[in-house]
Amino acid sequence: MTTATFQAERPAVVWLLEREVLRFLNIWRYSIIGPVLSTVLFVIVFGNALGRHVDPIDGISYGKFIVPGLVAQTMVNVGFFNGTTSLFEARRDRYINDVFASPLRWWEINAALVGGGIARAVIVALPTVAIAMPLTGGGSVARPGVLLVGTLGLLVVVAQVGVIAGSLAKSLDHVYSMESIILLPLGFVGGVFYSVSTLPRAWDVLSRFDPVFWLVQVERIGFLGHGDTSAGAALLVVWGLAAALTAWSAWIFATGRLKP
Amino acid sequence: MSSWSAPDPLAALSVRGLSKSYGSFSAVANLDLDIADGSFFGLLGPNGAGKTTLIGSVCNIVRPSAGAITVFGHDHRSREARSLIGLAEQEINVDRFLSVRQMLIYHGGYHGLSRRAARAQADEILTQFRLEAKADLRAYELSGGMQRRLVLARALLHQPKLLILDEPTAGVDVELRAEIWRQMKGLNAAGTTILLTTHYLEEAETLCDEIALLRAGQIVARGSSSSLRARYGASTITELYERALTAGAP
Repeated sequence: MTTATFQAERPAVVWLLEREVLRFLNIWRYSIIGPVLSTVLFVIVFGNALGRHVDPIDGISYGKFIVPGLVAQTMVNVGFFNGTTSLFEARRDRYINDVFASPLRWWEINAALVGGGIARAVIVALPTVAIAMPLTGGGSVARPGVLLVGTLGLLVVVAQVGVIAGSLAKSLDHVYSMESIILLPLGFVGGVFYSVSTLPRAWDVLSRFDPVFWLVQVERIGFLGHGDTSAGAALLVVWGLAAALTAWSAWIFATGRLKP
Repeated sequence: MSSWSAPDPLAALSVRGLSKSYGSFSAVANLDLDIADGSFFGLLGPNGAGKTTLIGSVCNIVRPSAGAITVFGHDHRSREARSLIGLAEQEINVDRFLSVRQMLIYHGGYHGLSRRAARAQADEILTQFRLEAKADLRAYELSGGMQRRLVLARALLHQPKLLILDEPTAGVDVELRAEIWRQMKGLNAAGTTILLTTHYLEEAETLCDEIALLRAGQIVARGSSSSLRARYGASTITELYERALTAGAP
């Protein structure tokens, strides 16, 4: 028996996280520029052009009102797609086997995949905010604490959803249909473009069963100071979702369910 | 309580009571196997005999249904065991997003190397496998033979003590096959234990000091090529293969 214990000169999880970041940086036109550009165009078209004909909401111009929701929606899309495509392609091409066969532990693999999704969402969100805020009249962040804690929760939620979807997907068609059948409709009814308080009571209540609604709320309360719900409730729901999804994702990885 | 005996801590690879089922299909059934440190061991059998499932179970890629596996005395799921194994799979499984050199460097990183050590190892192995001119290409831009060499290079990068090769010469030309044979012999002579699966019977006979024949997830015969031929009254390895797999254990 060899008695030497395994000791890494550099943590293997850092290598895998670095690989995840390098993966999306190598396709930066698609992974970074595309989402930033499309979100900024939404701000210009809906916020600036059409927004002039929409009454202010709670005293805030329409352009300014939709920016937090669009930023949330962008992070949702990018975080979801990063985890989903990275893991699905690794499974399809079987190079995930090189990772499974290495000394990396299950939670390190999970953490690196989630970290990659978070990194990409942040890299897309920062320039989006930097361009969108001046376009809609500038202004400061009303509640930085809520924005920071809420955004962290949002990032964990979307990255874990992406990893879970990537572990469940059986084909590329599955990946894209999850986006068009689940993610896109949830985004549209999640209050990105409107305040749910303007809807009939029943729709207002139904909206609260949409996870994207809560993700939008933490961004809106953080940026603008108020939303359709209290900051405490929004943070509680978002971090509750983050904890539940992390537990689900951990169960998939810890029990080897990604393996045949 | 488990019904199998304890694995051999002195063996390079020790498998006890390994079973793996996919639904009602049993790919490997209560398999025992010991491979001595320093040996060159061949695993032969038809498609679907369970060779790849056995290898996947050893390498933490497949979840066994039952059994125990140790690598140089370490549980096969431990980091120690995994750092001691190098695996070249039957299918070419390369990272499409990284260059050839990056792929090797990151593989070294997954095995705990520092950046400097991983780069040095990658450059050395690229030269050894005559891939240095292709280092900046993506792996999928290489020819089939070069991709096969790359997969072998990756398996060796972290200097494993147990090298597992799942049909490493499938679909390669004669020249590359001879090159792979030469390298495998050199590695084994230097002390690396090798587990080889192949459909080329003469390959197993030439390279391996011991072979096992696998059928329906169970080992039906095991020994040196000459001892098995004597046991089955076979004049060639092909005859031995047919007799052993048709008759089962003598």
